[in-house]
Amino acid sequence: MPMAAAESQYVCVEEREYCVELASAAEQPRLWRGIGRLACFFALVACLAFAMDALVTSGLRRIKTSAFGASNVVMEGKVNADVLITGSSRALVQYDPRAIEATTGLSAFNLGRNGSQTDMQVAFLKAYLAHNRRPKIVLHNLDAFSFVTTREVFDPVQYRPYLYDSSLYEASRKINPSIWKSRYIPLYGYVVDDMNLNWMRGLAGFVGWSPRGDYFLGFNPRHRTWTNEFDKFRTANPAGVRFEIEPAGVQDLENLIQLCKQNGIQLILVYSPEYSQMQKLTTNRAEIFARFHELADRNGVPIWDYSNWDHDSDRNFFYNSQHLNATGAAAFSSDMANRLQQFLLAQRSSTAEKAARDGHLATMSVNRIAVTNRLKGQ
Amino acid sequence: MLFNSLEFALFFPIAAGVYFTLSHRWRVHWLLFASCIFYMAFIPVYVLILVVTILIDYTAGIYIDKVEGNRKKLLLWVSILSTCSVLFVFKYFSFVTSSVVDVGGLFGWKLVRPAVNIILPIGLSFHTFQSLSYVIEVYFGKQKAERNFIVYATYVMFFPQLVAGPIERPQHLLPQFRVKHDFNYQNVTSGLKRMAWGLFKKLVVADRLALYVNDVYSSPRQYTGLQLTIATVFFAYQIYCDFSGYSDIAIGAAQVLGFRLMENFRTPYYSLSISEFWHRWHISLSTWFKDYLYIPLGGNRVSKPRYISNLLITFAVSGLWHGANWTYVIWGVLNGAYLVVGMLTKDLRDRGFEAIGVEKESKLRKAVMLVSTWTLTCLAWVVFRAKSTGDAWYVVSHLASNWDLSLLSTPQFLLRQFPVAVASIAVLEIGQLWQRSVSFPSFVGRFQMPVRWTIYASLVLAVLMFGVYRKTQFIYFQF
Repeated sequence: MPMAAAESQYVCVEEREYCVELASAAEQPRLWRGIGRLACFFALVACLAFAMDALVTSGLRRIKTSAFGASNVVMEGKVNADVLITGSSRALVQYDPRAIEATTGLSAFNLGRNGSQTDMQVAFLKAYLAHNRRPKIVLHNLDAFSFVTTREVFDPVQYRPYLYDSSLYEASRKINPSIWKSRYIPLYGYVVDDMNLNWMRGLAGFVGWSPRGDYFLGFNPRHRTWTNEFDKFRTANPAGVRFEIEPAGVQDLENLIQLCKQNGIQLILVYSPEYSQMQKLTTNRAEIFARFHELADRNGVPIWDYSNWDHDSDRNFFYNSQHLNATGAAAFSSDMANRLQQFLLAQRSSTAEKAARDGHLATMSVNRIAVTNRLKGQ
Repeated sequence: MLFNSLEFALFFPIAAGVYFTLSHRWRVHWLLFASCIFYMAFIPVYVLILVVTILIDYTAGIYIDKVEGNRKKLLLWVSILSTCSVLFVFKYFSFVTSSVVDVGGLFGWKLVRPAVNIILPIGLSFHTFQSLSYVIEVYFGKQKAERNFIVYATYVMFFPQLVAGPIERPQHLLPQFRVKHDFNYQNVTSGLKRMAWGLFKKLVVADRLALYVNDVYSSPRQYTGLQLTIATVFFAYQIYCDFSGYSDIAIGAAQVLGFRLMENFRTPYYSLSISEFWHRWHISLSTWFKDYLYIPLGGNRVSKPRYISNLLITFAVSGLWHGANWTYVIWGVLNGAYLVVGMLTKDLRDRGFEAIGVEKESKLRKAVMLVSTWTLTCLAWVVFRAKSTGDAWYVVSHLASNWDLSLLSTPQFLLRQFPVAVASIAVLEIGQLWQRSVSFPSFVGRFQMPVRWTIYASLVLAVLMFGVYRKTQFIYFQF
């Protein structure tokens, strides 16, 4: 039935204006025919939704810049770095791989994820290893909240185009069992789980447009000055704060250590700079660090603690208590790169010494065998 | 169950499909069952509150119909008081006891606040008023008592309008449960279009604006005058789109099933006076208060002081209906005061306009009236939205200060969301203005089916894609 012929007319009756629709009785499809037509219409909507979802996903995977660009090179297996930085936003905004490359001569990449906890960081590292050559060194950034597990995946759209990766999908599903909706219901992950209209970026990406480049080898420097976030936080928590040490969170860090061990990767745990007054506010800081050291000692992993960094009281280097700004990140990355260089040199010399010692021992035993044989011959 | 949830997207086609395939005899039973499922999706055990209210008013209705004189009046009051006592316990008990403790504190009495934390059953005020409407109409002989319990229970629990109205009158809704509603493709598609328009208002406009409004009104002292002003304007649109969007979905859903519900909004922000605004805003509640409170108090057929007090009482009670907080009461009284001042200064304003040569029907005068009505309404919304009277005063007194254009965004509402928010308001206004001259469906109806379907499917997709899907309830659910 042409809809034009069946246009509704609204007639207002009495004061309360009951809405009466005078439907044309002519040409009304029967029940099943009507349901069939409605089903066809919604099938059309579903098809459009599937097409749009594919378009957005494809567009986001084409982006060369921003967080999506950084993720894309990882998932396409184009990173293959020697040194990998993992962690939360503190890793993302504080470690400049360019400084590491310049100092050590090794290729480096920052895998930091905004708003992630250790569980998601491990998942992303697994995804990295599935698509890239394994790195020689992983610098894993520690936070005071490293032992807290993820309650809700932060900004889930950052993972949506890559949910085909089993590590990411399983880790997300563990945190949010309804993540299947994002993976299988068209557009769900882009419109329901994301309020920031990132699907628009996807459409733009599909036609070849990429956002402004603010990521450098995965590093995202923040050109910001000190905000009053910490002061508000301190006012709200005058007695300080306590970060839970959850057994599952401890296990997540243990998993990270084991993952690196199994892949023959040298892991270094780094507690990057934190604003000094925030350190005093964390009531169970000693307890958290004791767990860090216990884990590290048990597994023979070094910990580099920057709690007493030279500039940890200087607000010119931070934009809030947890994050260095671009200036602070440059200073810290330089310090870190030098320390890494020292570490590598020390590692190389100890390897050389070991090799020399092993070589010497081998020569000695060959000589001993020769002497023994000679004596036997005599 | 929220209208803007995946659960409802599954529930509604099943409910409607089964409804049409059942024989007429069982359809009301099915509607009641579906309504129970719908309501129990919130807090299942609270359905018992509805059962109690339904039993009280169903029984009272039958007896009120049977008896006469003082016994009839007594039964009416018993019914009203018992129904209202449920409302009082769940909605006003904490508010009243807290107020008593606060007042006692002024006199130096050390009273203890009772440690009661009751979750308000969703839509309690709506179905309470619908039940009250029934017994009052039966009392006045305008409605025969409903003997069929299933029909009466469905009247109270009809799921499209169960939790946020429109508050229906028995004469209008009850007979519809006895009529056989055949599947009518025209009705179904019209209803679905109405639901889509409601979802646009809710998901695209209201919920996006809510991100900004919630940030600012949760701690207004942290924001500049410009942000406070934007938040206030956004809230005016948010509450309109939230509530009228709900009404559109409710009316559309009922229409799909073959039912007609009362219109609840008629573009209220195009009103030229506060009085007109209240004839266009939440019509089902306004007429409820008019019929069952304002007119019984004497309405306007009394002395002027009494008339003024009738207005103020009606609006104060209306404010209290919206929530157990002094901000709502003040909001109600403020609207009543607007009406009173408007009435008292009408001649003065007419003379003022005449003096400057602005005629009664001129566009300039209409524009001034429209803008002033809108501004006064927005100022009243500040009190409605603020968490406390202190916050409301802070917002009102700082609206004009510190308009720092560099500070626009809030933690939840990024700068890039502004174009979408502003565009959604523009689409809303264009849509409403367009509807005045020609309805959108009749415009699209000129095209052949493939084009028409593509247009509709694209619009549905656009609504889905621009929507915000946080688990936010409709604002009016809390009332």
